[in-house]
Amino acid sequence: MSSEDAHRSVEIAARVERRWATIAVIIVVGMALLAAFAGIHRATMPQPRVEITDPSRIHLSGEFVESNLGSVLEANGNVTVRAIGQQYSFTPACIVVPADTPITLRATSADVVHGILIQGTNVNTMLVPGYVSEQLMRFTRTGDYLMPCQEFCSFGHEGMWGKVKVIDKTDFANRAKAGGRLSCVGQ
Amino acid sequence: MLANRKLILAHFWLAFAVFGFALTLGAWQMFIRSPIGTWLSNPELYYRSLTAHGTVMGYVFPTLVAMGFGYAISESALEQRLVGVRWAWAGFWLIVAGSIMAMVPIALGRASVLYTFYPPLIGNVFYYLGVVLVVVGSWIWVALMSVNLRVWRKAHPGAPVPLAMFANVAGSYLWAWTAVGAALELLLQIIPVAAGLKNTIDAGLARVFFSWTLHAIVYFWLMPTYIAYYTIVPRAIGGRVYSDSMARISFILFLVVAMPIGMHHTFADPQVGAGFKFVHSAFTALVALPTLLTVFTICASIEIAARLRGGRGMFGWTRALPWDNPMMLALAFSFVMLGFGGAGGLINMSYQLDASIHNTQWITGHFHLIFGGAIVIMYFAIAYDLWPHLTGRELIDIRLIRTQLWLWFIGMIVTTFPWHWVGILGMPRRMAYFDFGDPAIAPQALSVTFSAIGGFILLTSGIMFIVVLARGMRAPLVDAGPYRFAIAVHQPTTVPVALNTHALWVALMIVLTLTNYGYPILTLATTEGTSVPAVYVGAQ
Amino acid sequence: MSAHDLFTLGNRHFRIGVGVTAAILIVTAITGFIVLPFAQPWVQFANVWDAICSAAGVPQRAANVTAPEQSKRLSEVVLTSRTLSRPSQEAIGRGATLAQRCAICHGPTGISRADSPNLAGQYAAVIYKELHDFRSGARTNAVMSPFAVNLTDPEIADLSNYYAYLPRLPAYHPTPQLPKPNIVIYGAPMRGIAPCGACHGSLDNKTGSPWLEGQSEAYMKAQLQAFASGERRNDISQQMRNIARAMTPQEIEAAAAYYASQPSDVVKAVD
Repeated sequence: MSSEDAHRSVEIAARVERRWATIAVIIVVGMALLAAFAGIHRATMPQPRVEITDPSRIHLSGEFVESNLGSVLEANGNVTVRAIGQQYSFTPACIVVPADTPITLRATSADVVHGILIQGTNVNTMLVPGYVSEQLMRFTRTGDYLMPCQEFCSFGHEGMWGKVKVIDKTDFANRAKAGGRLSCVGQ
Repeated sequence: MLANRKLILAHFWLAFAVFGFALTLGAWQMFIRSPIGTWLSNPELYYRSLTAHGTVMGYVFPTLVAMGFGYAISESALEQRLVGVRWAWAGFWLIVAGSIMAMVPIALGRASVLYTFYPPLIGNVFYYLGVVLVVVGSWIWVALMSVNLRVWRKAHPGAPVPLAMFANVAGSYLWAWTAVGAALELLLQIIPVAAGLKNTIDAGLARVFFSWTLHAIVYFWLMPTYIAYYTIVPRAIGGRVYSDSMARISFILFLVVAMPIGMHHTFADPQVGAGFKFVHSAFTALVALPTLLTVFTICASIEIAARLRGGRGMFGWTRALPWDNPMMLALAFSFVMLGFGGAGGLINMSYQLDASIHNTQWITGHFHLIFGGAIVIMYFAIAYDLWPHLTGRELIDIRLIRTQLWLWFIGMIVTTFPWHWVGILGMPRRMAYFDFGDPAIAPQALSVTFSAIGGFILLTSGIMFIVVLARGMRAPLVDAGPYRFAIAVHQPTTVPVALNTHALWVALMIVLTLTNYGYPILTLATTEGTSVPAVYVGAQ
Repeated sequence: MSAHDLFTLGNRHFRIGVGVTAAILIVTAITGFIVLPFAQPWVQFANVWDAICSAAGVPQRAANVTAPEQSKRLSEVVLTSRTLSRPSQEAIGRGATLAQRCAICHGPTGISRADSPNLAGQYAAVIYKELHDFRSGARTNAVMSPFAVNLTDPEIADLSNYYAYLPRLPAYHPTPQLPKPNIVIYGAPMRGIAPCGACHGSLDNKTGSPWLEGQSEAYMKAQLQAFASGERRNDISQQMRNIARAMTPQEIEAAAAYYASQPSDVVKAVD
C-alpha cells in the first residue's frame, strides 16, 4: 500500500465511522425525546415534590394516622389513597379504589425501606422512611390485584403481600357516602 | 513481557475461586425459591446467601479480575516491569483480609442486609469494614496503574499510549471515583451507626450515595470485557482493530458519562427531585453511545479478519470467521447477550417504562444477562487467552473450553429470559419463597422453574471453567511467546494529547458528578429531620 | 501540542468535549427543571422558582391534613431501636421494688402461675410499650389497667428494664413440645403473613414485638382473636391486626398451642 492509498483508506474509514456515530447519536436522542413525550402524554412522571415526615411518629399526627389510612373520595371526584408500609404489612392491607378515576396514592414507610408494586400495572414506587411517596394511578379494569413489597425489608419480606381491589365507580361512590376512609380489609 | 506472573495468577485464582463459591450459592438460591425447591424453614438463610452472593459477585470477583488483568496489561502492553510490586501484593492481601472480614459476619447471619446495604437496616460493623478494605485494596491498584503509565510516559515522551493501557487506566480512574459514593455512604453514614456511635441514619441520602456507585460500577465491571473486545479478540482471530481513535473515544465516553447517571436507580424514590431524575435519564441514554460505537468497531474489526481469511459478500464473510476459536465464540455470545441486555437497559433507562418493571425480577434478569452473561463470558475468554502466558503451559482442552462457553451462553439465556418475563408479570425481587400454589401467581411457576434449571447449567459451566484452568496448571510446557495485543488497521504514530491522556476526561467526569449529584446530596445532608432510627438486623 | 495546552480553548478536543457536555447539561436541565414541570397539567406550581425548587427536590414538610377523629384510643408510644437500650443497675433495682405489686399475677420470678404473660426476660421495649398503652387506655384490661394508670414514665422504664434483666425461666405449666405448624414456619405469603419469628424473636425482633415461647396458650389465643376482631388495637398502624385478621381460627389455635409448648430459653436473651 502506497502512502497515498493509506491516506485514502484512512479517510474512508473515518467517513464510515462518522456516519455510524451520527446514526448512534440519532438513536440516542430519539430515545430521550420519546421518554419525555411519553412522560407528558401518558401522565407517568416522577412525583413532583420531595416531602419529608418522621417515620417513628406517623401514627401520632399528620396524614398517616390510622384513622386517615385508606381511600377517600375527594370533592372533585378524584380519589386519594393513603397507605403505609411497615415490617411486614401494608396498612390498609387491602386497598379499595374505583375504576376509571384519577387516583393519587400517598404512602410512606414506618420503619425501613419498602416498595409498593401493583402487579399488572405500572404503579411502582419505593417507600423510604422519612419521605412521602406520591403516585398517580388509574385503573381501567375492575378486579383483584396483588401488591407485593418489592424491596428487601428484612427477614419477613417474603410474607409482605398486600391487595388492591378495583370496584365499579358507582359502588365506590355508594360506599364512600358513609364517610370515613375505605378499605377492603376483611372482605 | 509478563514478569510478575505469580501476582497476576494469584489475582485470577482468587477471583475464580470466590466466583465458584458465589456461583454455587446463586444456583442454590435459584433452586430453593423455585417451585421445585421446598420452602426454607428459615428464610434468613436465603437472605444470608444472597448477601454473600452479591458481595462476592459485585465487589470481590470483578475487582480482582480487573486488577489481575490490569497488571498483565501494564506489563505486556507497556513492555515494562510492574513498578510497585510490593504495593500490588499489599493490595491483594487487603482484599483477602477484607473479604474474610466481610464473610465472617455474613456466614454467622449477622449481616443479612444484601450487598446493597439498605439502611436503615444495619448489620454487623465488620461486614461494612470488610467491604471498605476490599475497596481500599483496589485503590492501590488504581494508583499503581497511574504510576506505571507515568513511568512509561517519561521513558517514551509523546508516544501514543498503547490502547489496552489507555483503556485500562481509564477503567481504573472510573472505579476510583465511582467507589467514592459507596465509600461515603459507608464511612459517613452506615459504619458510625453499625459501630453504635449514632443511631439514626438518612435512608434517602444513603440511597443517593449508593446510586453514585451502583451504576458506574457496572462499567467498571465492563472495562476488562471492552478491553478484550478491542485489543484481544481481533488479534486472536487474525484481524485488526478497525479504528484506534474510535476505541479511545469509546473508553473516554465511558469515563465521562458512566458516572452522572446513577439516579436512574432511584426513579421510584421519593427523596430525589423529578428534574434530577430527568437529567440522569438523559445521560443514561448517552451511555448507549460508546456501546453502539463499540459494536460497530468490533463488527468491522472481525469483518477485516474474515476478509483476510478469504470471506466474501455482503454477509457471506461471517462464514469465514474462525468459529472454532474460543475467542470468536465468546465474542459472539457476549455480543448476543449484550444486545438483549442492552435493549433491556434502554427500557430501564426511561422513567415511564421503568415504572412497570422497577424492582421486579426483570431487573435481576437484566443485570445477570449483562454482567453474568456479556461481561463474565469475556472474563473467561481473557483467562483462557492469558493462561498459557501465565503458566507457560498449553491449554489443551479446546473442546472442553468450547463446551464450557456454549453452556454458559445457553445457561444464561435459559436463566435470564424467563426471569425477565416474570418481572413483566410483576414478580418482586429478593423473596425467600413464593406461594406458587396460589392461582394469582401460579402462571409464573413454569418460568421460574426454567430459570432454576438455567442456574444449574451455569453452575456446570462454571465448574468446567475452573477444571480447564486447573488442568492448565499441569499441562505440558509450551513457549507461549510474549503476550501481544491487537494492532489497528492504521496504527497511530501520533495521537492528539486529549486522546492520549485522561486528565481532561477525568475532570469532566468529576464536574458532571458535581452538577448531577452535588445539589441532591447537599440538600439531603443539610435538611433537618430526614434521619430515621436504625433497625438492627438479627438483633434479638 | 503539549499536555499544558490540554485545558485551553485552543485545544479542539477541549472545546468539543466541554462544549457538548455543557450543552447537553443545559438542555436537559432546562427540560427537566422548567419545561417538564409545567407540561404536567395535573400539578400546580406557584411560579417558575417553585417549579425549579420542586424539580430539584428541595424537601418540604408534608402538608397538614385534617384526619378524621379516632373513634378509639390508639397507642401513642414512639418506639425505636433506641428505646431503653442501656439500663443502669439502679434502674433495675428500682424496677425490682416496683415489680413486687406485679407478682400476684406475673409471678415472683416473672413467671405467671395463671394465664398472665411471663415477663421474665421479655424485651424491655415490649413491657415499656404495653404499660404505656394500658396507662393511656389504648389497651384495656380490668385487672391490668388500674395498676398501670398511676405509673410515672420513669417507673415504666424501670419496670421494663427490671423484667428484661430477669433470666428466662421455664413456664410454670410446661406442656410437651409440639411440632412447628406451617403458619408459624412460613406464614402465608399470599395472605400477607410473614413467619412469626420475623418479628417475634426467633429470626429477628421488630422493636415492640414480644417473644412468645412458653407463654400461656389461652392468653395468646385470646390476644390473636382480639387483634383479629379489632377489639385490641394498640398495635401501631395495625401491624398485628393485619396479620391476625388474615389467620384462620385453626391457625390461631395452632400458633398459640405451638408457642405455649416451647421452652422459653430457646430465644436468645437481649444483648
